[in-house]
Amino acid sequence: MRLELKGVRYVYAAGTPFEVEALRGVSLVVEPREVLGIVGSTGSGKSTLVQHMNLLLTPTSGSVLVDGVDARSLQKSELRRRVGLVFQFPEAALFAPTVEEDVAFAPRQLGLDEEEVQERVTESLRVLGAGEFARRSPFALSGGEKRRAAIAGVLAMRPEVLVLDEPTAGLDPATREDLLALILDLREAGISVVLVSHDLDEVAEVADRVCVLHEGMLHAVGTPAEVFYKEPVQAPATVRVVSLVKESRPEIGDPVRFEETLDALRTLQGI
Amino acid sequence: MTSRSLGQFYPVASPVHDLDPRAKIVATAVFVVGLFLIDSTVGLLFVAAALVALVAVSRIPAGTFLRLLRPMFFIVALTVLIQVLFSREGATLLEWGILEIHSGGLRLGFFLALRILLLVSSAGLLTATTAPVALADGIEDLLSPLKRVRFPAHEVAMMMTIALRFIPTLGEEAEKIKGAQAARGADFSRGGPLRRARSLVPVLVPLTVGAFRRADELAEAMESRGYRGGEGRTRYRELRFRKGDAFALAATVLVLLVGILL
Repeated sequence: MRLELKGVRYVYAAGTPFEVEALRGVSLVVEPREVLGIVGSTGSGKSTLVQHMNLLLTPTSGSVLVDGVDARSLQKSELRRRVGLVFQFPEAALFAPTVEEDVAFAPRQLGLDEEEVQERVTESLRVLGAGEFARRSPFALSGGEKRRAAIAGVLAMRPEVLVLDEPTAGLDPATREDLLALILDLREAGISVVLVSHDLDEVAEVADRVCVLHEGMLHAVGTPAEVFYKEPVQAPATVRVVSLVKESRPEIGDPVRFEETLDALRTLQGI
Repeated sequence: MTSRSLGQFYPVASPVHDLDPRAKIVATAVFVVGLFLIDSTVGLLFVAAALVALVAVSRIPAGTFLRLLRPMFFIVALTVLIQVLFSREGATLLEWGILEIHSGGLRLGFFLALRILLLVSSAGLLTATTAPVALADGIEDLLSPLKRVRFPAHEVAMMMTIALRFIPTLGEEAEKIKGAQAARGADFSRGGPLRRARSLVPVLVPLTVGAFRRADELAEAMESRGYRGGEGRTRYRELRFRKGDAFALAATVLVLLVGILL
């Protein structure tokens, strides 16, 4: 499915002294079978943006289109099944006595028969490598295990678009690698993935296209190579420094020396 | 943060916001007691006029202040209705089947409604113009004479401060968890009361677990920063009782006296 955001504006606490305009007209498209990275610093509006993708938040103005149809005209439950949203620190919403039961929550809400529910639970847990702790309490797991269980709980709805908000934040390296591999597997299986992160390396590794969000506005859209290396003039300073540093070392993962960073900063100041 | 309701702090700069929290707490207490000593409608109207003037001085927009009071309107309406329908005092104004409306009922209904509104408005003005932390500081100070009889004034105030501080945090957490469960197909508005109560289980369980985790973390953070109770502890914000505070207290008492005599 093709998910499109058109001129989305969102204002928190409108009409009070606490009013904040979190999104100032964002337009973007999640194409079928792609991994779309969304990067930006803290407070740039990433989390607000993703909550518009399944209409947990409705735009103050602008619209969300699913295959060209206004998402507001769709049934909410249908929209939320098709666009699976995994919040930041999703393990904070685990609640059932066992991991299995927790993962079964979403499919049961869909009104599926018990056989189908069990099949989906088993499959989701297997995909996330969480099968071995299926019968344990989610509260007795390690951080990485909890994260796997929570993501399985959304995947069990078999969404067409999976939105992951900072899925690797605070994770051990092994779980992180597994998750990035899972994202690529999902794309192979025909699912679009939206990956929100402030880790540029991670996004460069798996994303087909990247959006840079800055103070509620889209600053750059393109392939990671275009956004990170070709130095679009509209990119924020951090992205420009990264791209300058990486000009001399196109291989992601090469260590960058202190002098190189300093040179890049000097060049940038000269611009 | 998204909804404003009774008891919420409204941060603007005004002479009322600047008053010592102790002066405001005592004035509010005196005001509430005084309200019950006023037995004439004219007296209440006079006090109401003074309170309206005070709200104007506090720079809280009238619309916002009324919205802060909105949760009370149902109780006020109910009070008036009961008085008007069931009081049999004074001249009969209207008779319709078993319904009779008397002038005494109308007068009493108006009087009680005004008293309730004044009661809630004064408390609302206190919390709207005093930051929660300042409020707790003020209460600690007012309770401190009780330390002689081993009353843990500091600990009580600290617990109040922490509780107040974490209301918005827990509220945000609840919103996030609700969002996460809604993304998994939870529906909190469908079905009868029982079904709706059951639909809250997936929110309340993680919220409670999170609250205990937070409490543990907070205790550890406080200990690692050397917190060990109120003994010998100094304050970053010293409370200072100034002339203006004495004046505000005196003015409150004066307005009430006039109200009682009217």
